[in-house]
Amino acid sequence: MDSSPILSVSDLAKTFSLGFLGAVPGFRRLPISVKGIAQRVEAVRGLSFAVEPGEIFGFLGPNGAGKTTTIKMLMGLIRPSAGSATLLGHALEPGNRRQRERIGYLPEQPYFYEHLRPMEFLDFYGGLFPMTAQERRRRARELLDRVGLGHALDRPIRKFSKGMVQRIGIAQALINAPELVILDEPMSGLDPLGRKEIRDLIFDLKQQGRTVFFSSHILQDVEQICDRVAIVVKGRLRRLGPIGELVEVGAQGTEVLVGGLQAPAVEALRLPATALGAAHRFVVADPAAVDGFVRAALDAGGRLISVTPQRRSLEDIFVEEARGA
Amino acid sequence: MRQILVIALNTFREAIRNRIFASIVAFAVGLLGLTLAVSAASLHEEVRLMKDVGLFLVSTFSAFLCVFVGANLVYKDIERKTIYTILPKPIHRWQFLLGKYLGVAAMMAVQVTIMGTALASQFWLLEERFSFVMVQAVWLIYVEVLVVSAVALLFSSFSTPFLSGMLTLGLFAVGRFADRLAEVRLKADAGEDQAVLDVASAAARGLSWLAPDLSLYNVTPYVVYDTALPAGFVAQATTSGVLYAALALGLAALLFSRRDFI
Ligand SMILES: Nc1ncnc2c1ncn2[C@@H]1O[C@H](COP(=O)(O)OP(=O)(O)OP(=O)(O)O)[C@@H](O)[C@H]1O
Ligand SMILES: [Mg+2]
Repeated sequence: MDSSPILSVSDLAKTFSLGFLGAVPGFRRLPISVKGIAQRVEAVRGLSFAVEPGEIFGFLGPNGAGKTTTIKMLMGLIRPSAGSATLLGHALEPGNRRQRERIGYLPEQPYFYEHLRPMEFLDFYGGLFPMTAQERRRRARELLDRVGLGHALDRPIRKFSKGMVQRIGIAQALINAPELVILDEPMSGLDPLGRKEIRDLIFDLKQQGRTVFFSSHILQDVEQICDRVAIVVKGRLRRLGPIGELVEVGAQGTEVLVGGLQAPAVEALRLPATALGAAHRFVVADPAAVDGFVRAALDAGGRLISVTPQRRSLEDIFVEEARGA
Repeated sequence: MRQILVIALNTFREAIRNRIFASIVAFAVGLLGLTLAVSAASLHEEVRLMKDVGLFLVSTFSAFLCVFVGANLVYKDIERKTIYTILPKPIHRWQFLLGKYLGVAAMMAVQVTIMGTALASQFWLLEERFSFVMVQAVWLIYVEVLVVSAVALLFSSFSTPFLSGMLTLGLFAVGRFADRLAEVRLKADAGEDQAVLDVASAAARGLSWLAPDLSLYNVTPYVVYDTALPAGFVAQATTSGVLYAALALGLAALLFSRRDFI
Protein backbone atom coordinates (compact mmCIF):
# COMPACT_ATOMS: atom_id res chain seq x y z
CA MET A 1 0.00 0.00 0.00
CA ASP A 2 1.22 3.50 -0.71
CA SER A 3 1.48 6.00 2.08
CA SER A 4 -0.93 8.60 0.74
CA PRO A 5 -4.03 8.89 2.89
CA ILE A 6 -6.85 6.46 2.20
CA LEU A 7 -9.38 9.08 3.18
CA SER A 8 -8.85 12.78 3.31
CA VAL A 9 -11.15 15.65 3.95
CA SER A 10 -10.33 19.28 3.41
CA ASP A 11 -12.38 22.26 4.48
CA LEU A 12 -15.50 20.18 4.27
CA ALA A 13 -18.65 22.08 5.23
CA LYS A 14 -22.37 21.52 5.20
CA THR A 15 -25.09 24.01 5.96
CA PHE A 16 -28.65 22.79 6.16
CA SER A 17 -31.55 25.04 5.39
CA LEU A 18 -34.70 24.65 7.39
CA GLY A 19 -38.11 26.23 7.00
CA PHE A 20 -40.09 26.68 3.83
CA LEU A 21 -37.98 29.50 2.41
CA GLY A 22 -34.92 27.41 3.12
CA ALA A 23 -35.90 25.21 0.23
CA VAL A 24 -35.63 28.06 -2.25
CA PRO A 25 -32.23 27.73 -3.94
CA GLY A 26 -31.29 31.41 -4.05
CA PHE A 27 -32.36 32.01 -0.50
CA ARG A 28 -30.08 29.31 0.76
CA ARG A 29 -27.04 31.43 0.03
CA LEU A 30 -28.16 34.48 1.96
CA PRO A 31 -26.74 34.80 5.44
CA ILE A 32 -30.19 35.13 6.93
CA SER A 33 -31.65 33.15 9.76
CA VAL A 34 -35.22 33.56 10.89
CA LYS A 35 -36.67 30.88 13.10
CA GLY A 36 -39.39 28.89 11.39
CA ILE A 37 -39.10 30.63 8.05
CA ALA A 38 -35.56 30.22 6.92
CA GLN A 39 -33.05 28.87 9.32
CA ARG A 40 -29.55 27.77 8.57
CA VAL A 41 -27.82 25.05 10.51
CA GLU A 42 -24.07 24.91 10.08
CA ALA A 43 -23.62 21.25 10.80
CA VAL A 44 -20.04 20.97 9.59
CA ARG A 45 -17.81 24.05 9.34
CA GLY A 46 -14.57 23.48 7.52
CA LEU A 47 -13.30 20.09 8.60
CA SER A 48 -9.88 18.82 7.51
CA PHE A 49 -8.16 15.58 8.43
CA ALA A 50 -6.67 12.52 6.82
CA VAL A 51 -6.85 8.81 7.60
CA GLU A 52 -3.82 6.66 6.82
CA PRO A 53 -4.09 3.19 5.35
CA GLY A 54 -4.28 0.44 7.92
CA GLU A 55 -5.25 2.50 10.93
CA ILE A 56 -8.29 2.51 13.13
CA PHE A 57 -9.47 6.08 13.25
CA GLY A 58 -11.97 7.24 15.85
CA PHE A 59 -14.29 10.09 14.97
CA LEU A 60 -15.49 11.51 18.23
CA GLY A 61 -17.82 14.24 19.25
CA PRO A 62 -20.85 15.00 21.37
CA ASN A 63 -24.40 14.75 20.00
CA GLY A 64 -24.95 17.09 17.12
CA ALA A 65 -21.25 17.62 16.47
CA GLY A 66 -21.64 16.84 12.79
CA LYS A 67 -20.24 13.30 12.70
CA THR A 68 -23.13 11.75 10.81
CA THR A 69 -23.32 14.71 8.45
CA THR A 70 -19.62 14.34 7.63
CA ILE A 71 -19.95 10.62 7.03
CA LYS A 72 -22.99 11.10 4.80
CA MET A 73 -21.00 13.54 2.71
CA LEU A 74 -18.22 10.96 2.42
CA MET A 75 -20.76 8.42 1.23
CA GLY A 76 -22.25 10.76 -1.35
CA LEU A 77 -25.66 10.84 0.32
CA ILE A 78 -25.56 14.59 0.74
CA ARG A 79 -23.54 17.17 -1.12
CA PRO A 80 -20.99 19.26 0.70
CA SER A 81 -21.73 22.99 0.78
CA ALA A 82 -18.00 23.58 0.48
CA GLY A 83 -14.72 21.73 0.56
CA SER A 84 -13.78 18.37 -0.79
CA ALA A 85 -12.91 14.84 0.16
CA THR A 86 -11.07 11.96 -1.42
CA LEU A 87 -11.58 8.30 -0.74
CA LEU A 88 -9.02 5.75 -1.90
CA GLY A 89 -7.29 8.47 -3.83
CA HIS A 90 -10.32 9.59 -5.84
CA ALA A 91 -12.60 12.53 -5.39
CA LEU A 92 -16.12 11.79 -4.20
CA GLU A 93 -18.13 10.39 -7.04
CA PRO A 94 -21.45 8.71 -6.37
CA GLY A 95 -21.24 6.45 -9.39
CA ASN A 96 -17.54 5.60 -9.26
CA ARG A 97 -17.61 1.80 -9.25
CA ARG A 98 -13.91 1.26 -8.63
CA GLN A 99 -14.09 3.41 -5.55
CA ARG A 100 -17.39 2.10 -4.24
CA GLU A 101 -16.44 -1.51 -4.61
CA ARG A 102 -13.70 -1.02 -2.04
CA ILE A 103 -15.73 0.75 0.63
CA GLY A 104 -18.05 -0.58 3.31
CA TYR A 105 -20.51 1.58 5.22
CA LEU A 106 -22.82 1.20 8.17
CA PRO A 107 -25.23 4.11 8.69
CA GLU A 108 -26.35 5.38 12.06
CA GLN A 109 -29.42 3.54 13.39
CA PRO A 110 -29.71 1.40 10.29
CA TYR A 111 -33.01 0.12 9.03
CA PHE A 112 -33.28 -2.64 6.51
CA TYR A 113 -35.76 -4.42 4.31
CA GLU A 114 -37.70 -6.36 6.88
CA HIS A 115 -39.03 -8.98 4.55
CA LEU A 116 -35.60 -10.54 4.05
CA ARG A 117 -33.97 -13.34 5.99
CA PRO A 118 -30.28 -12.94 6.85
CA MET A 119 -28.91 -14.95 3.91
CA GLU A 120 -31.25 -13.26 1.42
CA PHE A 121 -30.35 -9.94 2.94
CA LEU A 122 -26.63 -10.37 2.43
CA ASP A 123 -27.21 -11.89 -0.98
CA PHE A 124 -29.12 -8.76 -1.95
CA TYR A 125 -26.27 -6.47 -0.94
CA GLY A 126 -23.68 -8.82 -2.40
CA GLY A 127 -25.58 -8.72 -5.67
CA LEU A 128 -24.71 -5.05 -6.01
CA PHE A 129 -21.04 -6.03 -6.26
CA PRO A 130 -19.32 -8.10 -8.89
CA MET A 131 -19.47 -11.35 -6.93
CA THR A 132 -20.65 -14.76 -8.07
CA ALA A 133 -23.62 -16.36 -6.35
CA GLN A 134 -21.31 -18.91 -4.81
CA GLU A 135 -18.97 -16.25 -3.44
CA ARG A 136 -21.90 -14.34 -2.02
CA ARG A 137 -23.23 -17.37 -0.23
CA ARG A 138 -19.87 -18.30 1.23
CA ARG A 139 -19.14 -14.77 2.33
CA ALA A 140 -22.63 -14.34 3.82
CA ARG A 141 -22.31 -17.50 5.91
CA GLU A 142 -18.90 -16.45 7.12
CA LEU A 143 -20.02 -12.96 8.07
CA LEU A 144 -23.17 -14.10 9.83
CA ASP A 145 -21.09 -16.37 12.01
CA ARG A 146 -18.56 -13.61 12.54
CA VAL A 147 -21.17 -11.14 13.83
CA GLY A 148 -22.85 -13.80 15.94
CA LEU A 149 -26.03 -14.30 13.96
CA GLY A 150 -25.36 -17.87 12.93
CA HIS A 151 -28.29 -18.96 15.08
CA ALA A 152 -30.87 -16.63 13.53
CA LEU A 153 -30.75 -17.69 9.88
CA ASP A 154 -34.42 -18.66 9.70
CA ARG A 155 -35.84 -15.36 10.94
CA PRO A 156 -36.86 -12.40 8.81
CA ILE A 157 -35.23 -9.15 9.90
CA ARG A 158 -38.64 -7.94 11.05
CA LYS A 159 -38.16 -10.21 14.07
CA PHE A 160 -34.64 -9.06 14.94
CA SER A 161 -33.76 -7.23 18.14
CA LYS A 162 -32.03 -3.86 17.95
CA GLY A 163 -28.62 -5.38 18.60
CA MET A 164 -29.20 -8.02 15.95
CA VAL A 165 -30.09 -5.36 13.39
CA GLN A 166 -26.87 -3.55 14.27
CA ARG A 167 -24.91 -6.77 13.78
CA ILE A 168 -26.41 -7.60 10.44
CA GLY A 169 -25.75 -4.01 9.45
CA ILE A 170 -22.08 -4.55 10.14
CA ALA A 171 -22.16 -7.77 8.13
CA GLN A 172 -23.69 -5.84 5.25
CA ALA A 173 -20.88 -3.30 5.41
CA LEU A 174 -18.31 -6.06 5.07
CA ILE A 175 -19.92 -8.13 2.32
CA ASN A 176 -17.50 -6.85 -0.32
CA ALA A 177 -14.38 -7.30 1.83
CA PRO A 178 -13.80 -3.53 1.72
CA GLU A 179 -10.40 -1.90 2.15
CA LEU A 180 -11.96 1.07 3.86
CA VAL A 181 -14.72 0.51 6.38
CA ILE A 182 -16.77 3.48 7.55
CA LEU A 183 -19.02 2.85 10.51
CA ASP A 184 -21.37 5.39 12.07
CA GLU A 185 -21.72 4.44 15.72
CA PRO A 186 -21.19 0.71 15.28
CA MET A 187 -21.57 -0.03 18.97
CA SER A 188 -24.82 1.75 19.59
CA GLY A 189 -27.61 -0.53 20.72
CA LEU A 190 -25.26 -3.26 21.84
CA ASP A 191 -24.82 -4.72 25.31
CA PRO A 192 -21.34 -4.72 26.90
CA LEU A 193 -20.55 -8.15 25.52
CA GLY A 194 -21.73 -7.16 22.06
CA ARG A 195 -19.59 -4.05 22.27
CA LYS A 196 -16.56 -6.10 23.02
CA GLU A 197 -17.33 -8.41 20.12
CA ILE A 198 -17.55 -5.51 17.71
CA ARG A 199 -14.36 -4.06 19.14
CA ASP A 200 -12.63 -7.36 18.49
CA LEU A 201 -14.09 -7.45 15.01
CA ILE A 202 -12.81 -3.98 14.21
CA PHE A 203 -9.42 -4.99 15.51
CA ASP A 204 -9.49 -8.09 13.28
CA LEU A 205 -10.20 -5.86 10.30
CA LYS A 206 -7.09 -3.91 11.10
CA GLN A 207 -5.11 -7.14 11.38
CA GLN A 208 -6.30 -8.01 7.91
CA GLY A 209 -4.84 -4.74 6.68
CA ARG A 210 -8.10 -2.86 6.33
CA THR A 211 -8.68 0.70 7.42
CA VAL A 212 -11.52 1.47 9.79
CA PHE A 213 -13.04 4.90 10.31
CA PHE A 214 -15.77 4.95 12.90
CA SER A 215 -17.70 7.48 14.90
CA SER A 216 -18.70 7.09 18.49
CA HIS A 217 -19.30 8.79 21.74
CA ILE A 218 -18.57 5.72 23.76
CA LEU A 219 -15.14 6.57 24.97
CA GLN A 220 -13.87 3.23 26.18
CA ASP A 221 -14.48 1.75 22.77
CA VAL A 222 -12.39 4.39 21.13
CA GLU A 223 -9.66 4.36 23.75
CA GLN A 224 -9.07 0.68 23.47
CA ILE A 225 -8.75 0.22 19.75
CA CYS A 226 -8.12 3.47 17.93
CA ASP A 227 -4.71 4.42 16.64
CA ARG A 228 -5.78 8.01 16.22
CA VAL A 229 -8.84 10.02 17.05
CA ALA A 230 -10.34 13.26 15.89
CA ILE A 231 -12.55 15.17 18.25
CA VAL A 232 -15.19 17.30 16.62
CA VAL A 233 -17.36 19.81 18.41
CA LYS A 234 -20.01 21.91 16.71
CA GLY A 235 -18.75 21.05 13.28
CA ARG A 236 -15.14 21.99 13.93
CA LEU A 237 -12.11 19.83 14.55
CA ARG A 238 -10.86 20.36 18.09
CA ARG A 239 -8.21 17.70 18.45
CA LEU A 240 -6.47 15.19 16.28
CA GLY A 241 -3.80 12.72 17.17
CA PRO A 242 -2.75 9.37 18.54
CA ILE A 243 -4.56 8.39 21.70
CA GLY A 244 -1.24 8.28 23.56
CA GLU A 245 -0.61 11.94 22.87
CA LEU A 246 -4.08 13.09 23.76
CA VAL A 247 -4.07 11.21 27.04
CA GLU A 248 -0.68 11.59 28.70
CA VAL A 249 -0.17 8.67 30.99
CA GLY A 250 0.64 9.60 34.57
CA ALA A 251 -0.17 13.24 34.16
CA GLN A 252 -2.83 12.94 36.79
CA GLY A 253 -0.65 11.14 39.34
CA THR A 254 -0.57 7.53 40.49
CA GLU A 255 -3.23 5.86 42.57
CA VAL A 256 -2.00 3.57 45.34
CA LEU A 257 -4.39 1.30 47.20
CA VAL A 258 -3.16 -0.03 50.54
CA GLY A 259 -4.94 -2.31 52.99
CA GLY A 260 -4.44 -3.05 56.67
CA LEU A 261 -3.27 0.44 57.72
CA GLN A 262 -4.08 1.77 61.17
CA ALA A 263 -5.21 5.37 61.52
CA PRO A 264 -1.86 6.69 62.96
CA ALA A 265 0.02 4.98 60.12
CA VAL A 266 -2.22 6.67 57.56
CA GLU A 267 -1.47 9.97 59.15
CA ALA A 268 2.25 9.28 59.10
CA LEU A 269 2.18 8.81 55.32
CA ARG A 270 1.24 12.46 55.01
CA LEU A 271 -0.93 12.23 51.95
CA PRO A 272 -4.67 12.78 51.82
CA ALA A 273 -6.30 9.36 52.00
CA THR A 274 -9.74 8.17 51.05
CA ALA A 275 -11.08 5.19 52.95
CA LEU A 276 -12.43 2.46 50.71
CA GLY A 277 -13.82 -0.17 53.06
CA ALA A 278 -10.85 -1.55 54.94
CA ALA A 279 -8.36 -0.08 52.45
CA HIS A 280 -7.06 3.40 51.82
CA ARG A 281 -6.60 5.19 48.54
CA PHE A 282 -3.77 7.63 47.97
CA VAL A 283 -2.82 9.65 44.93
CA VAL A 284 0.89 10.31 44.46
CA ALA A 285 1.39 13.28 42.17
CA ASP A 286 5.05 12.88 41.23
CA PRO A 287 5.77 9.66 39.31
CA ALA A 288 9.30 9.59 40.80
CA ALA A 289 7.93 9.52 44.34
CA VAL A 290 5.79 6.41 43.88
CA ASP A 291 8.49 3.89 44.85
CA GLY A 292 9.30 5.71 48.05
CA PHE A 293 5.66 6.03 49.00
CA VAL A 294 4.96 2.35 48.46
CA ARG A 295 7.98 1.39 50.57
CA ALA A 296 6.86 3.70 53.39
CA ALA A 297 3.35 2.29 53.28
CA LEU A 298 4.63 -1.30 53.52
CA ASP A 299 6.99 -0.35 56.36
CA ALA A 300 4.03 1.13 58.21
CA GLY A 301 2.42 -2.34 58.19
CA GLY A 302 0.27 -1.89 55.10
CA ARG A 303 -0.59 -4.49 52.49
CA LEU A 304 -0.26 -3.36 48.89
CA ILE A 305 -3.43 -3.86 46.85
CA SER A 306 -2.75 -1.94 43.66
CA VAL A 307 -0.69 0.77 41.98
CA THR A 308 -2.40 2.47 39.03
CA PRO A 309 -1.02 5.36 37.02
CA GLN A 310 -3.84 7.84 36.50
CA ARG A 311 -4.28 9.31 33.08
CA ARG A 312 -6.41 12.01 31.82
CA SER A 313 -9.15 10.02 30.21
CA LEU A 314 -10.57 10.82 26.87
CA GLU A 315 -13.71 11.61 28.74
CA ASP A 316 -12.03 14.52 30.49
CA ILE A 317 -10.81 15.91 27.18
CA PHE A 318 -14.21 15.41 25.74
CA VAL A 319 -15.87 17.35 28.50
CA GLU A 320 -13.25 20.09 28.36
CA GLU A 321 -13.64 20.52 24.63
CA ALA A 322 -17.38 20.40 24.72
CA ARG A 323 -17.43 23.09 27.39
CA GLY A 324 -14.79 25.22 25.76
CA ALA A 325 -16.63 25.41 22.46
CA MET B 1 -27.66 -4.05 -15.47
CA ARG B 2 -27.03 -6.53 -12.71
CA GLN B 3 -27.63 -3.84 -10.10
CA ILE B 4 -30.95 -2.91 -11.69
CA LEU B 5 -32.09 -6.50 -11.64
CA VAL B 6 -31.07 -6.97 -8.02
CA ILE B 7 -33.14 -3.95 -6.98
CA ALA B 8 -36.06 -5.00 -9.18
CA LEU B 9 -36.09 -8.51 -7.80
CA ASN B 10 -35.98 -7.26 -4.25
CA THR B 11 -38.79 -4.79 -4.87
CA PHE B 12 -40.89 -7.49 -6.42
CA ARG B 13 -40.21 -9.78 -3.51
CA GLU B 14 -41.03 -7.04 -1.03
CA ALA B 15 -44.39 -6.44 -2.69
CA ILE B 16 -45.24 -10.11 -3.05
CA ARG B 17 -44.36 -10.92 0.54
CA ASN B 18 -46.54 -8.09 1.70
CA ARG B 19 -49.76 -9.62 2.95
CA ILE B 20 -51.66 -6.51 2.01
CA PHE B 21 -50.85 -7.09 -1.62
CA ALA B 22 -52.10 -10.66 -1.58
CA SER B 23 -55.31 -9.72 0.18
CA ILE B 24 -55.95 -6.78 -2.17
CA VAL B 25 -55.62 -9.01 -5.21
CA ALA B 26 -57.84 -11.66 -3.64
CA PHE B 27 -60.39 -9.01 -2.80
CA ALA B 28 -60.29 -7.63 -6.33
CA VAL B 29 -60.79 -11.00 -7.92
CA GLY B 30 -63.63 -11.72 -5.53
CA LEU B 31 -65.27 -8.40 -6.30
CA LEU B 32 -64.94 -9.05 -9.99
CA GLY B 33 -66.58 -12.47 -9.67
CA LEU B 34 -69.38 -11.10 -7.56
CA THR B 35 -70.13 -8.21 -9.90
CA LEU B 36 -70.23 -10.47 -12.88
CA ALA B 37 -72.44 -12.97 -11.09
CA VAL B 38 -74.88 -10.28 -10.04
CA SER B 39 -75.12 -8.71 -13.47
CA ALA B 40 -75.48 -12.13 -15.07
CA ALA B 41 -78.42 -12.94 -12.84
CA SER B 42 -80.35 -9.73 -13.10
CA LEU B 43 -79.78 -7.96 -16.35
CA HIS B 44 -80.92 -8.22 -19.88
CA GLU B 45 -77.98 -7.55 -22.12
CA GLU B 46 -75.83 -9.19 -19.50
CA VAL B 47 -72.75 -10.18 -21.48
CA ARG B 48 -72.09 -6.76 -22.96
CA LEU B 49 -72.63 -4.97 -19.70
CA MET B 50 -70.53 -7.50 -17.87
CA LYS B 51 -67.64 -6.90 -20.21
CA ASP B 52 -67.93 -3.17 -19.71
CA VAL B 53 -68.07 -3.43 -15.93
CA GLY B 54 -65.40 -6.11 -15.80
CA LEU B 55 -62.85 -4.15 -17.80
CA PHE B 56 -63.61 -1.00 -15.87
CA LEU B 57 -63.00 -2.83 -12.60
CA VAL B 58 -59.75 -4.39 -13.75
CA SER B 59 -58.31 -1.18 -15.15
CA THR B 60 -59.37 1.12 -12.34
CA PHE B 61 -58.33 -1.30 -9.71
CA SER B 62 -54.92 -1.87 -11.27
CA ALA B 63 -54.34 1.84 -11.63
CA PHE B 64 -55.20 2.50 -8.01
CA LEU B 65 -52.99 -0.31 -6.82
CA CYS B 66 -49.98 0.87 -8.80
CA VAL B 67 -50.48 4.43 -7.61
CA PHE B 68 -50.51 3.17 -4.07
CA VAL B 69 -47.48 0.95 -4.47
CA GLY B 70 -45.54 3.34 -6.69
CA ALA B 71 -46.12 6.30 -4.42
CA ASN B 72 -44.99 4.34 -1.39
CA LEU B 73 -42.03 2.30 -2.44
CA VAL B 74 -39.28 4.80 -3.08
CA TYR B 75 -40.49 7.10 -0.38
CA LYS B 76 -40.42 4.28 2.14
CA ASP B 77 -36.80 3.53 1.29
CA ILE B 78 -35.90 7.15 1.86
CA GLU B 79 -38.01 7.63 4.96
CA ARG B 80 -36.80 4.46 6.60
CA LYS B 81 -33.28 5.11 5.44
CA THR B 82 -32.80 1.75 3.76
CA ILE B 83 -31.54 3.79 0.87
CA TYR B 84 -28.53 4.87 2.95
CA THR B 85 -27.06 1.41 2.68
CA ILE B 86 -27.88 0.99 -1.01
CA LEU B 87 -26.73 4.18 -2.70
CA PRO B 88 -23.18 4.06 -1.31
CA LYS B 89 -22.75 0.70 -3.02
CA PRO B 90 -21.55 0.58 -6.62
CA ILE B 91 -24.87 1.62 -8.12
CA HIS B 92 -26.01 4.78 -9.84
CA ARG B 93 -29.04 6.52 -8.45
CA TRP B 94 -30.88 6.13 -11.74
CA GLN B 95 -30.22 2.40 -11.63
CA PHE B 96 -31.82 2.23 -8.24
CA LEU B 97 -34.85 4.10 -9.50
CA LEU B 98 -35.18 2.01 -12.63
CA GLY B 99 -34.83 -1.15 -10.57
CA LYS B 100 -37.64 0.01 -8.31
CA TYR B 101 -39.79 0.73 -11.34
CA LEU B 102 -39.16 -2.64 -12.93
CA GLY B 103 -39.98 -4.32 -9.63
CA VAL B 104 -43.31 -2.52 -9.50
CA ALA B 105 -43.90 -3.37 -13.16
CA ALA B 106 -43.27 -7.04 -12.46
CA MET B 107 -45.61 -7.01 -9.51
CA MET B 108 -48.31 -5.29 -11.52
CA ALA B 109 -47.82 -7.84 -14.28
CA VAL B 110 -48.73 -10.52 -11.78
CA GLN B 111 -51.73 -8.55 -10.61
CA VAL B 112 -53.05 -7.71 -14.08
CA THR B 113 -52.51 -11.28 -15.21
CA ILE B 114 -54.47 -12.65 -12.28
CA MET B 115 -57.39 -10.27 -12.78
CA GLY B 116 -57.27 -10.50 -16.56
CA THR B 117 -57.29 -14.26 -16.45
CA ALA B 118 -60.20 -14.27 -14.03
CA LEU B 119 -62.12 -11.96 -16.34
CA ALA B 120 -61.27 -13.75 -19.59
CA SER B 121 -62.03 -17.16 -18.21
CA GLN B 122 -65.50 -16.06 -17.13
CA PHE B 123 -66.35 -15.07 -20.68
CA TRP B 124 -64.73 -18.11 -22.05
CA LEU B 125 -67.06 -20.20 -19.89
CA LEU B 126 -70.02 -18.04 -20.80
CA GLU B 127 -69.54 -17.70 -24.54
CA GLU B 128 -67.48 -20.81 -25.10
CA ARG B 129 -65.33 -18.75 -27.38
CA PHE B 130 -61.95 -17.19 -26.91
CA SER B 131 -61.91 -13.45 -27.49
CA PHE B 132 -58.64 -12.03 -28.75
CA VAL B 133 -59.75 -8.43 -28.32
CA MET B 134 -60.21 -9.17 -24.65
CA VAL B 135 -56.54 -10.15 -24.38
CA GLN B 136 -55.53 -7.01 -26.22
CA ALA B 137 -57.67 -4.96 -23.87
CA VAL B 138 -56.01 -6.49 -20.83
CA TRP B 139 -52.58 -5.84 -22.34
CA LEU B 140 -53.48 -2.19 -22.87
CA ILE B 141 -54.61 -1.99 -19.26
CA TYR B 142 -51.13 -3.14 -18.38
CA VAL B 143 -49.56 -0.47 -20.57
CA GLU B 144 -51.69 2.08 -18.76
CA VAL B 145 -50.37 0.70 -15.48
CA LEU B 146 -46.81 1.13 -16.73
CA VAL B 147 -47.52 4.79 -17.46
CA VAL B 148 -49.25 5.48 -14.17
CA SER B 149 -46.54 3.70 -12.15
CA ALA B 150 -43.87 5.82 -13.78
CA VAL B 151 -45.77 8.98 -12.88
CA ALA B 152 -46.23 7.76 -9.31
CA LEU B 153 -42.54 7.03 -9.02
CA LEU B 154 -41.69 10.45 -10.40
CA PHE B 155 -43.77 12.16 -7.75
CA SER B 156 -42.62 9.92 -4.95
CA SER B 157 -38.97 10.66 -5.72
CA PHE B 158 -39.46 14.12 -4.29
CA SER B 159 -42.66 14.23 -2.24
CA THR B 160 -44.56 12.31 0.40
CA PRO B 161 -46.71 9.28 -0.45
CA PHE B 162 -49.92 11.15 0.23
CA LEU B 163 -49.04 14.07 -1.97
CA SER B 164 -47.59 11.96 -4.74
CA GLY B 165 -50.59 9.65 -4.55
CA MET B 166 -52.96 12.59 -4.91
CA LEU B 167 -50.93 14.14 -7.73
CA THR B 168 -50.78 10.85 -9.58
CA LEU B 169 -54.50 10.27 -9.18
CA GLY B 170 -55.14 13.77 -10.44
CA LEU B 171 -53.02 13.19 -13.50
CA PHE B 172 -54.68 9.81 -13.93
CA ALA B 173 -58.15 11.37 -13.94
CA VAL B 174 -57.06 14.04 -16.42
CA GLY B 175 -55.37 11.38 -18.53
CA ARG B 176 -58.50 9.28 -18.78
CA PHE B 177 -60.38 12.22 -20.21
CA ALA B 178 -57.43 13.58 -22.14
CA ASP B 179 -59.10 13.09 -25.50
CA ARG B 180 -62.13 15.10 -24.43
CA LEU B 181 -60.15 17.76 -22.60
CA ALA B 182 -58.06 18.33 -25.70
CA GLU B 183 -61.23 19.38 -27.51
CA VAL B 184 -62.56 21.70 -24.84
CA ARG B 185 -63.76 25.01 -26.27
CA LEU B 186 -66.26 26.54 -23.92
CA LYS B 187 -68.81 28.94 -25.39
CA ALA B 188 -70.17 31.77 -23.29
CA ASP B 189 -73.91 31.96 -22.71
CA ALA B 190 -75.64 35.27 -22.10
CA GLY B 191 -74.07 37.09 -19.14
CA GLU B 192 -70.89 35.03 -19.13
CA ASP B 193 -67.47 36.33 -19.98
CA GLN B 194 -65.97 34.60 -22.97
CA ALA B 195 -62.42 35.63 -22.01
CA VAL B 196 -62.57 33.71 -18.71
CA LEU B 197 -63.93 30.66 -20.49
CA ASP B 198 -61.19 30.89 -23.06
CA VAL B 199 -58.56 30.79 -20.34
CA ALA B 200 -60.28 27.82 -18.71
CA SER B 201 -60.47 26.02 -22.03
CA ALA B 202 -56.83 26.66 -22.70
CA ALA B 203 -55.93 25.37 -19.25
CA ALA B 204 -57.93 22.21 -19.85
CA ARG B 205 -56.23 21.68 -23.18
CA GLY B 206 -52.84 22.36 -21.60
CA LEU B 207 -53.52 19.79 -18.90
CA SER B 208 -54.53 17.25 -21.47
CA TRP B 209 -51.26 17.91 -23.22
CA LEU B 210 -49.25 17.43 -20.04
CA ALA B 211 -51.06 14.32 -18.87
CA PRO B 212 -50.66 11.01 -20.66
CA ASP B 213 -53.54 10.24 -22.99
CA LEU B 214 -54.95 7.28 -21.12
CA SER B 215 -58.04 7.10 -23.30
CA LEU B 216 -55.75 5.26 -25.71
CA TYR B 217 -55.75 2.26 -23.40
CA ASN B 218 -59.46 1.93 -23.09
CA VAL B 219 -60.78 -0.25 -25.89
CA THR B 220 -63.90 -1.43 -24.06
CA PRO B 221 -66.28 -0.70 -26.99
CA TYR B 222 -64.33 -3.06 -29.21
CA VAL B 223 -64.54 -5.79 -26.59
CA VAL B 224 -68.21 -5.19 -25.96
CA TYR B 225 -69.13 -5.40 -29.64
CA ASP B 226 -66.43 -7.96 -30.26
CA THR B 227 -64.89 -6.16 -33.20
CA ALA B 228 -61.22 -6.27 -34.13
CA LEU B 229 -59.01 -3.30 -33.29
CA PRO B 230 -57.54 -1.30 -36.20
CA ALA B 231 -54.28 -2.78 -37.40
CA GLY B 232 -51.27 -1.45 -35.53
CA PHE B 233 -53.36 0.15 -32.81
CA VAL B 234 -51.96 -1.92 -29.97
CA ALA B 235 -48.36 -1.43 -31.12
CA GLN B 236 -48.87 2.29 -31.42
CA ALA B 237 -50.55 2.66 -28.04
CA THR B 238 -47.84 0.57 -26.44
CA THR B 239 -45.08 2.65 -27.98
CA SER B 240 -46.59 5.90 -26.86
CA GLY B 241 -47.13 4.54 -23.35
CA VAL B 242 -43.57 3.31 -23.05
CA LEU B 243 -42.26 6.65 -24.29
CA TYR B 244 -44.32 8.57 -21.78
CA ALA B 245 -43.16 6.28 -18.98
CA ALA B 246 -39.54 6.67 -20.08
CA LEU B 247 -39.91 10.43 -20.04
CA ALA B 248 -41.38 10.41 -16.56
CA LEU B 249 -38.64 8.09 -15.32
CA GLY B 250 -35.95 10.24 -16.93
CA LEU B 251 -37.27 13.27 -15.13
CA ALA B 252 -37.48 11.31 -11.88
CA ALA B 253 -33.86 10.20 -12.30
CA LEU B 254 -32.77 13.78 -12.89
CA LEU B 255 -34.49 15.03 -9.75
CA PHE B 256 -33.29 12.03 -7.80
CA SER B 257 -29.66 12.48 -8.80
CA ARG B 258 -29.56 15.96 -7.35
CA ARG B 259 -31.19 15.54 -4.02
CA ASP B 260 -29.70 15.18 -0.54
CA PHE B 261 -30.73 12.22 1.57
CA ILE B 262 -31.13 13.71 4.99
N1 LIG C 1 -31.52 17.28 7.76
C1 LIG C 1 -31.12 18.21 8.60
N2 LIG C 1 -31.66 19.43 8.56
C2 LIG C 1 -31.24 20.39 9.40
N3 LIG C 1 -30.30 20.21 10.31
C3 LIG C 1 -29.70 19.02 10.40
C4 LIG C 1 -30.08 17.95 9.55
N4 LIG C 1 -29.33 16.88 9.86
C5 LIG C 1 -28.52 17.26 10.85
N5 LIG C 1 -28.75 18.54 11.19
C6 LIG C 1 -28.04 19.30 12.25
O1 LIG C 1 -26.67 19.21 12.03
C7 LIG C 1 -25.99 19.07 13.25
C8 LIG C 1 -25.11 17.86 13.21
O2 LIG C 1 -25.89 16.69 13.15
P1 LIG C 1 -25.23 15.25 13.03
O3 LIG C 1 -26.34 14.28 12.87
O4 LIG C 1 -24.20 15.28 11.98
O5 LIG C 1 -24.56 15.08 14.44
P2 LIG C 1 -23.80 13.83 15.08
O6 LIG C 1 -22.45 14.29 15.44
O7 LIG C 1 -23.89 12.67 14.19
O8 LIG C 1 -24.63 13.59 16.39
P3 LIG C 1 -25.02 12.24 17.16
O9 LIG C 1 -23.88 11.89 18.01
O10 LIG C 1 -26.20 12.64 17.96
O11 LIG C 1 -25.34 11.21 16.14
C9 LIG C 1 -27.05 19.04 14.32
O12 LIG C 1 -27.14 20.33 14.88
C10 LIG C 1 -28.31 18.70 13.59
O13 LIG C 1 -29.41 19.30 14.19
MG1 LIG D 1 -24.66 10.81 14.40
